[in-house]
Amino acid sequence: MPDLLPVPAIVLTHLEHWYGEDSLKRPVLRDLNLTVEAGKTTFLMGPSGCGKTTLLTLIGALRSVMAGSVVVLGQELKGASEAVMVQSRRRAGFVFQHHNLHRSLTVLQNVRMGLEVRGESGRADTRERCMEVLEAVGLAEHADKRQDQISGGQKQRAAVARALVGRPELLLADEPTAALDSKTGRDVMELMQRLAAERRMTVLMVTHDNRILDIADRIVEMEDGRILPSGQAHSGPNRISEKA
Amino acid sequence: MLSGRTPLGWLQLTHSTSRFVVASAGVGFAVMLVFMQLGFMNMLFDATVTIHKKFFADLVVMSGSAKGIVPDSGSFSRRRLVQAAGVDGVAGFAEVYIGTLSWTKPSDGTVGQIVVFGVPTDQRVFNDPDLDAKMPSLRVLNSFLVDEGSRGDFTTFFGKIKAGDQPTVKLGGQTATAVGTFKFGASFGTEAIAIVSTETFLHLVPTRPAGVINMGLITVSPGVDAQGLADTITAVMGPTEVKVWTMSGFIGLTRDILRVESPIAIVFSFGVIVGLFVGAVIVVQILSSDVQDHLSEYATFKAIGFSNRFLLGIVLEQSAILTLAGYFPALLISLGLYRVVGAAVSMSMSMTFDRIALVFGLTAVMCAVAGSIAMRRIYSADPAEVF
Ligand SMILES: Nc1ncnc2c1ncn2[C@@H]1O[C@H](COP(=O)(O)OP(=O)(O)OP(=O)(O)O)[C@@H](O)[C@H]1O
Ligand SMILES: [Mg+2]
Repeated sequence: MPDLLPVPAIVLTHLEHWYGEDSLKRPVLRDLNLTVEAGKTTFLMGPSGCGKTTLLTLIGALRSVMAGSVVVLGQELKGASEAVMVQSRRRAGFVFQHHNLHRSLTVLQNVRMGLEVRGESGRADTRERCMEVLEAVGLAEHADKRQDQISGGQKQRAAVARALVGRPELLLADEPTAALDSKTGRDVMELMQRLAAERRMTVLMVTHDNRILDIADRIVEMEDGRILPSGQAHSGPNRISEKA
Repeated sequence: MLSGRTPLGWLQLTHSTSRFVVASAGVGFAVMLVFMQLGFMNMLFDATVTIHKKFFADLVVMSGSAKGIVPDSGSFSRRRLVQAAGVDGVAGFAEVYIGTLSWTKPSDGTVGQIVVFGVPTDQRVFNDPDLDAKMPSLRVLNSFLVDEGSRGDFTTFFGKIKAGDQPTVKLGGQTATAVGTFKFGASFGTEAIAIVSTETFLHLVPTRPAGVINMGLITVSPGVDAQGLADTITAVMGPTEVKVWTMSGFIGLTRDILRVESPIAIVFSFGVIVGLFVGAVIVVQILSSDVQDHLSEYATFKAIGFSNRFLLGIVLEQSAILTLAGYFPALLISLGLYRVVGAAVSMSMSMTFDRIALVFGLTAVMCAVAGSIAMRRIYSADPAEVF
């Protein structure tokens, strides 16, 4: 099927968002339109405070849509009930800036939560599935350690494993390497990219890190609550060559 | 789903062993308070009916207004008892006079009150065979037996009696001879108890006409149902000022009257409520600080798709764990304390299965209520704040 039309994983139309009420009302996203193609890795870049995190929380169904339309994996999130929001979150994997691992759980138990949330943790192959992802992120021998017994990079890799173990169709990440040194950050990033590609996942990632832009299929630039037109016009590698 | 559930409540609670121990001890302390309050309350109730169990009888005949085996239980004609005893199925009967007299206390020579039972000496009146064997000694006029549980320091007096000295005291203005002792066990409301013969009783209480008695004891022929016979006697006697109870029925009645008319139940129920309240406050403290500590983890769980219900379940699981971890050690300690306290006040403080179940239920409810107060914070865990 070579000439199949690209399937959109995320479609945002006329999206508006603001914080505060009445006189304190501050618009953060203004008439934002964006389509993210399925199976591709898209980077979201832009100056601090331009609304990247806000956008990601809206796509991830972590925040209610105020105005406009957010369709993720075919599900409209505008006006969605709490149950639909919860269901939507389960279809996506999240990697946060901080690892957010549960401190009373071992690495393996943390990863297992990614299966438990889908009701898949009672199956016989649960441990096997968790160990497989931990193997993939290189943490197999640290499976039974708590988060305070492993390094920052290992924690973030454990968080990646938790996000990927349920084989989500979509991976959302917000500066996942911000808390890591550049070498470790690069490793985690390449790992995510490789695993996502193997699994044909759609990846939407916020990053400030210019050194890893070659990983992306496409780079989207944001400014002041809008997507910059140029960012939509060029694919990732082209833009990097332009910049370089 | 349940089989694959990570026991987060357990893992979080036991993450710090010392905190878990303190939490369980807090719940256990509340449980112990409740057990002790209920224990004391029932010990008081039991104490008022210990005397009932001393009498050798299947049925009791008393004035309809009687509130127990007490001096002011009302009097009635002996003819009533004879009439009741005439019914088929009655094996034997005995009449009992009850009165309160003043006496010179042999402990310090002051004047006190003593409850005196006047009973026949030629019939079995008491269950205790030792006491029954002493009855013939009362046939000498103005001789009496005295309760070793009487309040006051009577050690030398009892020592003399046991040595066979037969010391005398002033009893109702006359000189009476103590010929022996018996043990009814400590009780409440009565300072001292004496047993005398019918003849001595009427002699010591000249205002009491012979034949105006306070209690009738009836024994039932073998194979006859006591309750059935009590009903038959009631029917045969027609409308009258006396009533017939089975002994166990009368014990129940006495306890019920005490529960309703005395402040005992209110005082101890209040104690139970205070205990439960203290426990609930402790559990709310522990669980809400645990929720508070894990708010960012809970927000993360919400962000990856766990529902509020799942998170509320963690707190309920913790409530259940604290119920078990607090209750069972407290039950064991309470059983020990019951023995110690019972021995100290020479009364029996007994644990019943009903109480074990009741307190377990109360503990579970206490922890569940505390848990549902503590879990309200969970709603404030905002998944949008994790990024
Ligand atoms: N919960 C909130 N309440 C009020 N204002 C907020 C809230 N979250 C973000 N903002 C504001 O909205 C704007 C956009 O924030 P957002 O976090 O989306 O930016 P960002 O692009 O992710 O920035 P950064 O690169 O620094 O992470 C900022 O001005 C921020 O101060
Ligand atoms: Mg941000």
